[in-house]
Amino acid sequence: MSKIVVLGAGISGHVAASHLRRKLSKEHEVVVVSPNSNYQWIPSNIWVGIGRMPSKKILFPLAPLYKKKGIDFKQAKAVSFHPEGDQEENKPYVIAEYVAGNNQGTQEKVTYDYLINATGPKLNFEATEGLIPGENGTYSVCTYTHAEHAWKGLNEQIELMKQGQKVKILIGTGHAKATCQGAAFEYILNVEQELRSHKVRDMADITWISNEYKLGDFGMDGMLMSYGSITMKSSEMVEMIFEDRNIKWILGAGVNKIENGLAHYENLDGDLKTEAYDFAMLIPSFSGHGFKAYNINNEDITDKLFKGFMIVDADYTPKPYEEWTVQDWPETYQNPTYKNIFAPGIAFAPPHTISKPRKSKNGTEIFPSPPRTGMPSGITAKLVADNIIDSVKKGKESLHHKGSMGNMGAACIASAGYGLLDGSGISITTFPIIPDYVKYSETHGRHLGKTFGSIGLAGHWLKLALHYAFIYKAKMKPFWWLIPE
Amino acid sequence: MKRISPIQRFKMMNPIIQLFKFFILSIKIMVIVAGGHGGTRKVN
Repeated sequence: MSKIVVLGAGISGHVAASHLRRKLSKEHEVVVVSPNSNYQWIPSNIWVGIGRMPSKKILFPLAPLYKKKGIDFKQAKAVSFHPEGDQEENKPYVIAEYVAGNNQGTQEKVTYDYLINATGPKLNFEATEGLIPGENGTYSVCTYTHAEHAWKGLNEQIELMKQGQKVKILIGTGHAKATCQGAAFEYILNVEQELRSHKVRDMADITWISNEYKLGDFGMDGMLMSYGSITMKSSEMVEMIFEDRNIKWILGAGVNKIENGLAHYENLDGDLKTEAYDFAMLIPSFSGHGFKAYNINNEDITDKLFKGFMIVDADYTPKPYEEWTVQDWPETYQNPTYKNIFAPGIAFAPPHTISKPRKSKNGTEIFPSPPRTGMPSGITAKLVADNIIDSVKKGKESLHHKGSMGNMGAACIASAGYGLLDGSGISITTFPIIPDYVKYSETHGRHLGKTFGSIGLAGHWLKLALHYAFIYKAKMKPFWWLIPE
Repeated sequence: MKRISPIQRFKMMNPIIQLFKFFILSIKIMVIVAGGHGGTRKVN
Protein backbone atom coordinates (compact mmCIF):
# COMPACT_ATOMS: atom_id res chain seq x y z
CA MET A 1 0.00 0.00 0.00
CA SER A 2 1.30 3.45 -0.92
CA LYS A 3 0.34 6.86 0.33
CA ILE A 4 0.62 9.75 -2.11
CA VAL A 5 0.28 13.24 -0.72
CA VAL A 6 -0.52 16.14 -3.05
CA LEU A 7 0.13 19.65 -1.76
CA GLY A 8 -2.19 22.11 -3.48
CA ALA A 9 -5.53 21.74 -5.26
CA GLY A 10 -5.13 24.18 -8.10
CA ILE A 11 -4.96 23.10 -11.74
CA SER A 12 -1.79 21.08 -11.19
CA GLY A 13 -2.59 19.49 -7.82
CA HIS A 14 -6.16 18.63 -8.76
CA VAL A 15 -5.13 17.05 -12.08
CA ALA A 16 -2.52 14.92 -10.29
CA ALA A 17 -4.92 13.83 -7.53
CA SER A 18 -7.69 13.01 -10.04
CA HIS A 19 -5.49 10.77 -12.19
CA LEU A 20 -3.89 9.08 -9.17
CA ARG A 21 -7.29 8.21 -7.75
CA ARG A 22 -8.65 6.97 -11.06
CA LYS A 23 -5.72 4.69 -11.84
CA LEU A 24 -4.71 3.41 -8.41
CA SER A 25 -6.77 0.87 -6.52
CA LYS A 26 -8.41 1.87 -3.25
CA GLU A 27 -5.72 0.12 -1.17
CA HIS A 28 -3.49 3.08 -2.05
CA GLU A 29 -4.15 6.34 -0.30
CA VAL A 30 -4.39 9.71 -2.10
CA VAL A 31 -4.32 12.73 0.20
CA VAL A 32 -4.75 16.35 -0.88
CA VAL A 33 -3.55 19.10 1.44
CA SER A 34 -4.73 22.56 0.40
CA PRO A 35 -5.65 25.71 2.31
CA ASN A 36 -8.36 26.47 -0.27
CA SER A 37 -11.83 25.00 0.21
CA ASN A 38 -12.78 25.58 -3.44
CA TYR A 39 -11.42 24.57 -6.80
CA GLN A 40 -11.33 27.55 -9.13
CA TRP A 41 -10.90 27.66 -12.89
CA ILE A 42 -8.52 30.61 -12.88
CA PRO A 43 -8.60 31.46 -16.64
CA SER A 44 -12.23 32.61 -16.28
CA ASN A 45 -11.35 35.12 -13.54
CA ILE A 46 -11.05 37.62 -16.39
CA TRP A 47 -14.81 37.48 -16.90
CA VAL A 48 -15.47 37.80 -13.16
CA GLY A 49 -13.31 40.94 -13.26
CA ILE A 50 -15.58 42.59 -15.85
CA GLY A 51 -18.82 41.52 -14.19
CA ARG A 52 -19.80 39.11 -16.97
CA MET A 53 -19.55 35.90 -14.96
CA PRO A 54 -20.40 35.34 -11.28
CA SER A 55 -17.57 33.69 -9.35
CA LYS A 56 -19.84 30.76 -8.40
CA LYS A 57 -19.64 29.66 -12.05
CA ILE A 58 -15.88 29.23 -11.92
CA LEU A 59 -15.57 27.36 -8.63
CA PHE A 60 -16.93 24.43 -6.66
CA PRO A 61 -16.21 23.04 -3.17
CA LEU A 62 -13.52 20.37 -3.07
CA ALA A 63 -14.50 18.46 0.08
CA PRO A 64 -17.74 16.80 -1.24
CA LEU A 65 -16.07 15.78 -4.52
CA TYR A 66 -13.02 14.32 -2.81
CA LYS A 67 -15.20 12.46 -0.30
CA LYS A 68 -17.23 10.95 -3.12
CA LYS A 69 -14.14 9.93 -5.07
CA GLY A 70 -12.20 8.52 -2.10
CA ILE A 71 -9.57 11.22 -1.88
CA ASP A 72 -8.64 12.29 1.65
CA PHE A 73 -8.80 16.10 1.90
CA LYS A 74 -7.14 18.21 4.56
CA GLN A 75 -7.90 21.91 4.41
CA ALA A 76 -4.49 22.89 5.64
CA LYS A 77 -1.36 24.68 4.50
CA ALA A 78 2.05 23.05 4.26
CA VAL A 79 4.49 24.48 6.78
CA SER A 80 7.73 22.47 6.50
CA PHE A 81 9.20 19.48 4.68
CA HIS A 82 10.89 16.53 6.43
CA PRO A 83 11.91 14.18 3.59
CA GLU A 84 13.92 11.87 5.90
CA GLY A 85 11.42 11.81 8.76
CA ASP A 86 12.89 12.51 12.19
CA GLN A 87 14.10 10.70 15.30
CA GLU A 88 10.54 9.64 16.18
CA GLU A 89 8.92 9.26 12.74
CA ASN A 90 10.80 7.05 10.29
CA LYS A 91 8.64 7.94 7.29
CA PRO A 92 9.08 11.19 5.37
CA TYR A 93 6.45 13.77 6.17
CA VAL A 94 5.29 17.36 5.78
CA ILE A 95 3.92 19.42 8.61
CA ALA A 96 0.51 20.80 7.68
CA GLU A 97 -1.44 23.39 9.64
CA TYR A 98 -5.22 23.31 9.42
CA VAL A 99 -6.76 26.62 8.33
CA ALA A 100 -10.45 25.85 8.91
CA GLY A 101 -12.81 23.69 10.96
CA ASN A 102 -12.44 22.36 14.48
CA ASN A 103 -8.73 21.68 13.99
CA GLN A 104 -7.92 25.22 12.84
CA GLY A 105 -4.44 26.21 13.93
CA THR A 106 -3.35 22.70 14.86
CA GLN A 107 -0.43 21.08 13.10
CA GLU A 108 -0.16 17.50 11.87
CA LYS A 109 2.63 15.35 10.51
CA VAL A 110 1.35 14.07 7.16
CA THR A 111 3.52 11.10 6.18
CA TYR A 112 3.93 9.98 2.59
CA ASP A 113 5.53 7.50 0.24
CA TYR A 114 5.35 9.96 -2.65
CA LEU A 115 4.92 13.71 -2.40
CA ILE A 116 3.67 16.01 -5.16
CA ASN A 117 4.37 19.65 -4.43
CA ALA A 118 1.79 21.53 -6.49
CA THR A 119 1.62 24.59 -4.30
CA GLY A 120 1.93 26.98 -7.23
CA PRO A 121 3.21 30.49 -6.63
CA LYS A 122 2.87 32.89 -3.76
CA LEU A 123 1.28 36.07 -5.11
CA ASN A 124 4.07 38.32 -3.94
CA PHE A 125 2.26 41.65 -3.71
CA GLU A 126 4.65 42.74 -0.92
CA ALA A 127 7.51 42.89 -3.45
CA THR A 128 5.98 46.12 -4.80
CA GLU A 129 5.42 48.80 -2.18
CA GLY A 130 1.77 49.84 -2.05
CA LEU A 131 0.55 47.14 -4.44
CA ILE A 132 -2.35 45.76 -2.42
CA PRO A 133 -5.44 44.38 -4.19
CA GLY A 134 -8.37 46.69 -3.53
CA GLU A 135 -6.22 49.50 -2.13
CA ASN A 136 -4.62 52.58 -3.72
CA GLY A 137 -6.89 52.11 -6.73
CA THR A 138 -5.09 48.89 -7.74
CA TYR A 139 -6.74 45.54 -8.29
CA SER A 140 -5.83 42.02 -9.30
CA VAL A 141 -7.58 39.18 -11.14
CA CYS A 142 -5.31 36.44 -9.76
CA THR A 143 -8.07 34.92 -7.59
CA TYR A 144 -11.84 35.04 -7.86
CA THR A 145 -12.13 37.27 -4.78
CA HIS A 146 -9.59 39.68 -6.28
CA ALA A 147 -11.53 39.61 -9.56
CA GLU A 148 -14.80 40.41 -7.76
CA HIS A 149 -13.12 43.45 -6.17
CA ALA A 150 -11.71 44.45 -9.55
CA TRP A 151 -15.19 44.45 -11.09
CA LYS A 152 -16.52 46.57 -8.21
CA GLY A 153 -13.71 49.07 -8.76
CA LEU A 154 -14.16 49.10 -12.52
CA ASN A 155 -17.91 49.52 -12.24
CA GLU A 156 -17.42 52.59 -10.05
CA GLN A 157 -15.23 54.09 -12.75
CA ILE A 158 -17.82 53.27 -15.43
CA GLU A 159 -20.44 55.16 -13.38
CA LEU A 160 -18.10 58.15 -13.12
CA MET A 161 -17.54 58.08 -16.88
CA LYS A 162 -21.28 58.02 -17.44
CA GLN A 163 -21.44 61.22 -15.40
CA GLY A 164 -18.92 62.79 -17.77
CA GLN A 165 -15.67 62.27 -15.89
CA LYS A 166 -12.54 61.27 -17.82
CA VAL A 167 -10.75 58.24 -16.37
CA LYS A 168 -7.25 56.79 -16.75
CA ILE A 169 -6.96 53.01 -16.72
CA LEU A 170 -3.61 51.26 -16.29
CA ILE A 171 -3.29 47.50 -16.79
CA GLY A 172 -0.22 45.25 -16.95
CA THR A 173 2.56 44.01 -14.67
CA GLY A 174 3.17 45.39 -11.19
CA HIS A 175 6.78 44.30 -10.76
CA ALA A 176 10.01 44.36 -12.77
CA LYS A 177 10.09 40.54 -12.92
CA ALA A 178 6.39 39.68 -12.95
CA THR A 179 5.04 37.01 -15.27
CA CYS A 180 1.53 36.05 -16.49
CA GLN A 181 1.35 38.94 -18.98
CA GLY A 182 -1.32 36.90 -20.78
CA ALA A 183 -3.86 37.46 -17.99
CA ALA A 184 -3.26 41.20 -18.02
CA PHE A 185 -3.46 41.19 -21.83
CA GLU A 186 -6.85 39.49 -21.68
CA TYR A 187 -8.09 41.86 -19.01
CA ILE A 188 -7.11 45.04 -20.84
CA LEU A 189 -8.94 43.91 -23.99
CA ASN A 190 -12.02 42.85 -22.02
CA VAL A 191 -12.09 46.13 -20.12
CA GLU A 192 -11.79 48.04 -23.40
CA GLN A 193 -14.72 46.13 -24.89
CA GLU A 194 -16.81 46.60 -21.74
CA LEU A 195 -16.28 50.35 -21.90
CA ARG A 196 -17.49 50.29 -25.49
CA SER A 197 -20.56 48.28 -24.55
CA HIS A 198 -21.32 50.83 -21.79
CA LYS A 199 -20.78 53.59 -24.41
CA VAL A 200 -18.09 55.31 -22.35
CA ARG A 201 -14.99 54.27 -24.30
CA ASP A 202 -14.25 57.85 -25.35
CA MET A 203 -14.10 58.87 -21.68
CA ALA A 204 -11.24 56.48 -20.89
CA ASP A 205 -7.54 56.63 -21.54
CA ILE A 206 -6.29 53.02 -21.47
CA THR A 207 -2.58 52.21 -21.06
CA TRP A 208 -0.68 48.92 -21.03
CA ILE A 209 2.37 48.89 -18.75
CA SER A 210 4.70 45.91 -18.86
CA ASN A 211 8.19 44.65 -18.07
CA GLU A 212 8.34 43.16 -21.58
CA TYR A 213 10.95 44.57 -23.97
CA LYS A 214 8.53 44.19 -26.86
CA LEU A 215 4.76 43.78 -27.05
CA GLY A 216 3.68 40.14 -27.31
CA ASP A 217 6.72 38.79 -25.45
CA PHE A 218 4.47 37.08 -22.85
CA GLY A 219 7.55 35.88 -20.97
CA MET A 220 8.25 33.47 -23.85
CA ASP A 221 10.62 35.67 -25.86
CA GLY A 222 7.78 36.42 -28.27
CA MET A 223 6.82 34.19 -31.14
CA LEU A 224 7.09 34.02 -34.86
CA MET A 225 3.72 32.68 -35.92
CA SER A 226 1.50 31.84 -38.83
CA TYR A 227 -1.35 34.32 -39.12
CA GLY A 228 -3.69 33.41 -41.94
CA SER A 229 -1.50 33.10 -45.01
CA ILE A 230 1.30 35.25 -43.66
CA THR A 231 4.04 34.91 -41.04
CA MET A 232 3.93 37.50 -38.32
CA LYS A 233 5.74 38.29 -35.06
CA SER A 234 3.62 38.23 -31.91
CA SER A 235 4.82 41.81 -31.27
CA GLU A 236 3.29 42.89 -34.59
CA MET A 237 0.01 41.14 -33.84
CA VAL A 238 -0.36 42.72 -30.39
CA GLU A 239 0.67 46.13 -31.74
CA MET A 240 -2.03 45.81 -34.42
CA ILE A 241 -4.66 44.98 -31.79
CA PHE A 242 -3.62 47.74 -29.37
CA GLU A 243 -3.50 50.38 -32.10
CA ASP A 244 -6.86 49.24 -33.45
CA ARG A 245 -8.38 49.57 -29.97
CA ASN A 246 -6.60 52.83 -29.15
CA ILE A 247 -4.62 51.36 -26.26
CA LYS A 248 -1.31 53.05 -25.45
CA TRP A 249 1.67 51.13 -24.11
CA ILE A 250 4.71 51.55 -21.87
CA LEU A 251 7.34 48.81 -22.19
CA GLY A 252 10.45 47.82 -20.25
CA ALA A 253 8.82 49.18 -17.11
CA GLY A 254 9.63 47.82 -13.68
CA VAL A 255 6.87 49.08 -11.40
CA ASN A 256 8.42 49.53 -7.95
CA LYS A 257 5.97 51.60 -5.91
CA ILE A 258 2.27 52.36 -5.86
CA GLU A 259 0.70 55.39 -4.24
CA ASN A 260 -2.99 56.18 -4.48
CA GLY A 261 -3.44 56.88 -8.19
CA LEU A 262 0.28 56.86 -9.01
CA ALA A 263 2.42 54.00 -10.34
CA HIS A 264 6.14 54.64 -10.01
CA TYR A 265 8.41 52.70 -12.33
CA GLU A 266 11.90 52.49 -13.70
CA ASN A 267 12.51 51.91 -17.39
CA LEU A 268 15.44 50.27 -19.17
CA ASP A 269 17.06 53.67 -19.74
CA GLY A 270 17.23 53.98 -15.96
CA ASP A 271 14.69 56.82 -15.88
CA LEU A 272 12.42 56.92 -12.85
CA LYS A 273 8.92 57.78 -14.02
CA THR A 274 5.38 57.98 -12.72
CA GLU A 275 2.10 57.09 -14.42
CA ALA A 276 -1.15 58.43 -13.00
CA TYR A 277 -4.29 56.28 -13.01
CA ASP A 278 -7.81 56.09 -11.63
CA PHE A 279 -8.11 52.29 -11.96
CA ALA A 280 -5.21 49.86 -12.23
CA MET A 281 -4.99 46.09 -12.53
CA LEU A 282 -1.39 45.04 -12.07
CA ILE A 283 -0.13 41.46 -11.88
CA PRO A 284 2.24 40.97 -8.92
CA SER A 285 5.48 39.03 -9.01
CA PHE A 286 5.27 35.32 -8.20
CA SER A 287 7.59 33.75 -5.66
CA GLY A 288 8.05 30.49 -3.80
CA HIS A 289 6.24 30.08 -0.49
CA GLY A 290 9.39 30.21 1.62
CA PHE A 291 9.05 26.62 2.86
CA LYS A 292 11.78 25.21 5.07
CA ALA A 293 13.09 21.63 4.93
CA TYR A 294 14.83 19.60 7.63
CA ASN A 295 16.73 16.30 7.69
CA ILE A 296 16.39 13.44 10.17
CA ASN A 297 18.52 15.36 12.72
CA ASN A 298 16.35 18.45 12.32
CA GLU A 299 19.13 20.31 10.46
CA ASP A 300 18.12 22.81 7.78
CA ILE A 301 18.35 21.29 4.29
CA THR A 302 16.16 23.83 2.52
CA ASP A 303 18.79 24.32 -0.20
CA LYS A 304 18.44 20.64 -1.24
CA LEU A 305 14.76 21.12 -1.96
CA PHE A 306 14.25 24.75 -2.81
CA LYS A 307 15.74 27.45 -4.92
CA GLY A 308 12.86 29.85 -4.37
CA PHE A 309 10.62 27.25 -6.01
CA MET A 310 11.34 23.50 -5.78
CA ILE A 311 14.50 22.04 -7.30
CA VAL A 312 13.78 19.38 -9.94
CA ASP A 313 15.67 17.60 -12.74
CA ALA A 314 16.68 20.82 -14.51
CA ASP A 315 20.22 22.04 -15.21
CA TYR A 316 20.62 25.00 -12.85
CA THR A 317 24.28 25.66 -13.74
CA PRO A 318 24.65 29.43 -14.05
CA LYS A 319 25.69 30.35 -17.59
CA PRO A 320 25.30 33.23 -20.05
CA TYR A 321 21.99 33.66 -21.86
CA GLU A 322 23.55 32.65 -25.19
CA GLU A 323 24.53 29.24 -23.75
CA TRP A 324 21.11 28.32 -22.39
CA THR A 325 19.54 25.38 -24.17
CA VAL A 326 16.18 23.73 -24.23
CA GLN A 327 17.81 20.66 -22.64
CA ASP A 328 18.25 22.64 -19.40
CA TRP A 329 14.51 22.33 -18.76
CA PRO A 330 13.15 19.49 -16.58
CA GLU A 331 11.51 16.37 -17.99
CA THR A 332 10.18 14.45 -14.98
CA TYR A 333 9.91 17.19 -12.31
CA GLN A 334 11.59 14.89 -9.79
CA ASN A 335 13.76 16.31 -7.01
CA PRO A 336 17.30 15.00 -7.58
CA THR A 337 18.01 14.45 -3.87
CA TYR A 338 14.72 12.97 -2.72
CA LYS A 339 13.44 10.85 -5.57
CA ASN A 340 9.93 10.46 -4.15
CA ILE A 341 9.26 14.21 -4.33
CA PHE A 342 7.97 15.88 -7.49
CA ALA A 343 7.00 19.46 -8.35
CA PRO A 344 4.86 19.99 -11.46
CA GLY A 345 3.19 23.22 -12.60
CA ILE A 346 4.41 26.53 -11.25
CA ALA A 347 5.94 24.91 -8.16
CA PHE A 348 9.21 23.91 -9.86
CA ALA A 349 12.18 26.26 -10.08
CA PRO A 350 12.81 27.15 -13.74
CA PRO A 351 16.48 26.84 -14.78
CA HIS A 352 16.43 30.25 -16.41
CA THR A 353 14.16 32.80 -17.97
CA ILE A 354 12.82 32.38 -21.50
CA SER A 355 12.78 36.06 -22.35
CA LYS A 356 16.19 37.66 -22.72
CA PRO A 357 17.26 39.08 -19.33
CA ARG A 358 17.75 42.85 -19.41
CA LYS A 359 19.00 45.37 -16.87
CA SER A 360 18.29 49.06 -16.64
CA LYS A 361 21.17 51.51 -16.64
CA ASN A 362 20.87 51.48 -12.84
CA GLY A 363 21.34 47.69 -12.77
CA THR A 364 17.71 46.82 -12.08
CA GLU A 365 16.64 43.58 -13.75
CA ILE A 366 13.53 44.28 -15.84
CA PHE A 367 12.20 41.30 -17.78
CA PRO A 368 9.36 38.77 -17.48
CA SER A 369 9.81 35.58 -15.50
CA PRO A 370 8.93 32.37 -17.36
CA PRO A 371 5.24 31.44 -17.36
CA ARG A 372 4.24 27.88 -16.38
CA THR A 373 0.54 28.39 -15.90
CA GLY A 374 -2.48 26.68 -17.44
CA MET A 375 -1.86 23.96 -19.95
CA PRO A 376 1.75 23.07 -18.99
CA SER A 377 0.64 22.91 -15.33
CA GLY A 378 -1.94 20.26 -16.19
CA ILE A 379 0.31 18.29 -18.54
CA THR A 380 3.26 18.16 -16.13
CA ALA A 381 0.95 17.16 -13.25
CA LYS A 382 -0.47 14.27 -15.28
CA LEU A 383 2.94 12.94 -16.27
CA VAL A 384 4.14 13.12 -12.66
CA ALA A 385 1.01 11.21 -11.58
CA ASP A 386 1.58 8.63 -14.34
CA ASN A 387 5.19 8.06 -13.24
CA ILE A 388 4.12 7.59 -9.62
CA ILE A 389 1.33 5.21 -10.68
CA ASP A 390 3.84 3.13 -12.70
CA SER A 391 6.31 3.14 -9.81
CA VAL A 392 3.63 2.01 -7.34
CA LYS A 393 2.41 -0.76 -9.64
CA LYS A 394 5.89 -2.01 -10.57
CA GLY A 395 7.30 -1.64 -7.08
CA LYS A 396 10.35 0.21 -8.40
CA GLU A 397 11.06 3.68 -9.74
CA SER A 398 9.65 4.28 -13.21
CA LEU A 399 10.18 7.56 -15.05
CA HIS A 400 8.90 6.51 -18.43
CA HIS A 401 6.65 9.58 -18.82
CA LYS A 402 8.54 12.71 -19.79
CA GLY A 403 7.41 16.15 -20.73
CA SER A 404 9.87 18.96 -21.18
CA MET A 405 8.34 22.34 -21.93
CA GLY A 406 10.88 22.32 -24.74
CA ASN A 407 8.97 19.46 -26.36
CA MET A 408 5.42 20.42 -25.47
CA GLY A 409 2.81 22.53 -27.20
CA ALA A 410 0.47 24.97 -25.51
CA ALA A 411 -2.60 26.91 -26.51
CA CYS A 412 -3.44 30.30 -25.09
CA ILE A 413 -6.99 31.29 -25.86
CA ALA A 414 -7.01 34.90 -24.76
CA SER A 415 -10.39 36.49 -24.33
CA ALA A 416 -10.56 39.86 -26.06
CA GLY A 417 -14.16 40.68 -25.17
CA TYR A 418 -17.21 38.87 -23.83
CA GLY A 419 -20.39 38.30 -25.85
CA LEU A 420 -22.00 35.44 -27.72
CA LEU A 421 -22.14 37.39 -30.98
CA ASP A 422 -19.95 40.42 -30.31
CA GLY A 423 -17.24 38.73 -28.25
CA SER A 424 -13.74 38.13 -29.48
CA GLY A 425 -10.78 35.97 -28.66
CA ILE A 426 -7.16 35.70 -29.69
CA SER A 427 -6.18 32.09 -30.14
CA ILE A 428 -2.46 31.47 -30.00
CA THR A 429 -0.73 28.13 -30.05
CA THR A 430 2.97 27.65 -29.59
CA PHE A 431 5.22 24.66 -30.08
CA PRO A 432 7.43 24.24 -28.22
CA ILE A 433 6.77 26.46 -25.22
CA ILE A 434 10.50 26.87 -24.58
CA PRO A 435 12.00 27.93 -27.90
CA ASP A 436 14.43 25.42 -29.37
CA TYR A 437 16.81 27.66 -31.28
CA VAL A 438 18.84 24.68 -32.56
CA LYS A 439 15.97 22.58 -33.92
CA TYR A 440 14.00 25.55 -35.25
CA SER A 441 16.85 27.91 -35.94
CA GLU A 442 15.15 29.72 -38.83
CA THR A 443 11.83 30.37 -37.11
CA HIS A 444 12.80 31.90 -33.76
CA GLY A 445 12.87 28.53 -32.00
CA ARG A 446 9.37 27.41 -32.86
CA HIS A 447 7.61 25.11 -35.34
CA LEU A 448 5.77 27.52 -37.65
CA GLY A 449 2.99 25.10 -38.58
CA LYS A 450 2.19 24.55 -34.90
CA THR A 451 2.64 28.16 -33.80
CA PHE A 452 -0.17 30.29 -35.06
CA GLY A 453 -2.44 33.15 -34.13
CA SER A 454 -6.06 33.84 -34.97
CA ILE A 455 -8.39 36.68 -33.97
CA GLY A 456 -12.17 36.60 -33.96
CA LEU A 457 -15.47 35.52 -32.48
CA ALA A 458 -14.48 31.84 -32.72
CA GLY A 459 -11.78 32.51 -30.12
CA HIS A 460 -14.41 33.66 -27.64
CA TRP A 461 -16.54 30.57 -28.26
CA LEU A 462 -13.44 28.44 -27.84
CA LYS A 463 -12.57 30.02 -24.50
CA LEU A 464 -16.17 29.56 -23.35
CA ALA A 465 -16.16 25.91 -24.51
CA LEU A 466 -12.89 25.31 -22.64
CA HIS A 467 -14.38 26.89 -19.52
CA TYR A 468 -17.28 24.40 -19.48
CA ALA A 469 -15.12 21.45 -20.56
CA PHE A 470 -12.50 22.00 -17.86
CA ILE A 471 -15.06 22.59 -15.11
CA TYR A 472 -16.71 19.30 -16.21
CA LYS A 473 -13.32 17.58 -16.13
CA ALA A 474 -12.40 19.04 -12.75
CA LYS A 475 -15.71 17.81 -11.30
CA MET A 476 -14.65 14.33 -12.44
CA LYS A 477 -17.92 13.68 -14.22
CA PRO A 478 -18.30 10.61 -16.49
CA PHE A 479 -15.41 10.13 -18.93
CA TRP A 480 -13.69 13.28 -17.64
CA TRP A 481 -10.29 11.77 -18.42
CA LEU A 482 -11.01 11.86 -22.16
CA ILE A 483 -10.60 15.64 -22.08
CA PRO A 484 -6.87 16.33 -22.49
CA GLU A 485 -5.02 18.62 -20.11
CA MET B 1 -5.84 54.17 -35.53
CA LYS B 2 -7.89 51.57 -37.38
CA ARG B 3 -5.45 48.78 -38.15
CA ILE B 4 -8.05 46.15 -38.98
CA SER B 5 -9.86 46.76 -42.26
CA PRO B 6 -13.68 46.54 -42.49
CA ILE B 7 -13.46 43.34 -44.56
CA GLN B 8 -11.10 41.73 -42.03
CA ARG B 9 -13.39 42.80 -39.20
CA PHE B 10 -16.39 41.35 -41.03
CA LYS B 11 -14.59 38.02 -41.35
CA MET B 12 -13.57 38.11 -37.68
CA MET B 13 -17.10 38.73 -36.43
CA ASN B 14 -19.33 36.91 -38.95
CA PRO B 15 -20.95 34.05 -36.99
CA ILE B 16 -21.14 31.68 -39.98
CA ILE B 17 -17.50 32.14 -40.99
CA GLN B 18 -16.49 31.95 -37.35
CA LEU B 19 -18.44 28.73 -36.79
CA PHE B 20 -16.27 27.04 -39.41
CA LYS B 21 -13.24 28.68 -37.83
CA PHE B 22 -14.31 27.35 -34.43
CA PHE B 23 -14.24 23.75 -35.66
CA ILE B 24 -10.96 24.20 -37.53
CA LEU B 25 -9.31 25.88 -34.53
CA SER B 26 -10.57 23.18 -32.16
CA ILE B 27 -9.04 20.45 -34.31
CA LYS B 28 -5.77 22.32 -34.84
CA ILE B 29 -5.39 23.03 -31.13
CA MET B 30 -6.28 19.45 -30.21
CA VAL B 31 -3.61 18.14 -32.59
CA ILE B 32 -0.94 20.43 -31.13
CA VAL B 33 -1.82 20.03 -27.48
CA ALA B 34 -2.89 16.40 -27.38
CA GLY B 35 -0.33 15.44 -30.00
CA GLY B 36 2.07 14.26 -27.34
CA HIS B 37 5.10 15.54 -25.52
CA GLY B 38 8.38 14.13 -24.38
CA GLY B 39 11.93 14.80 -23.35
CA THR B 40 14.62 16.75 -25.15
CA ARG B 41 17.73 15.03 -23.84
CA LYS B 42 19.52 12.19 -25.60
CA VAL B 43 19.34 8.96 -23.63
CA ASN B 44 22.35 6.62 -23.76
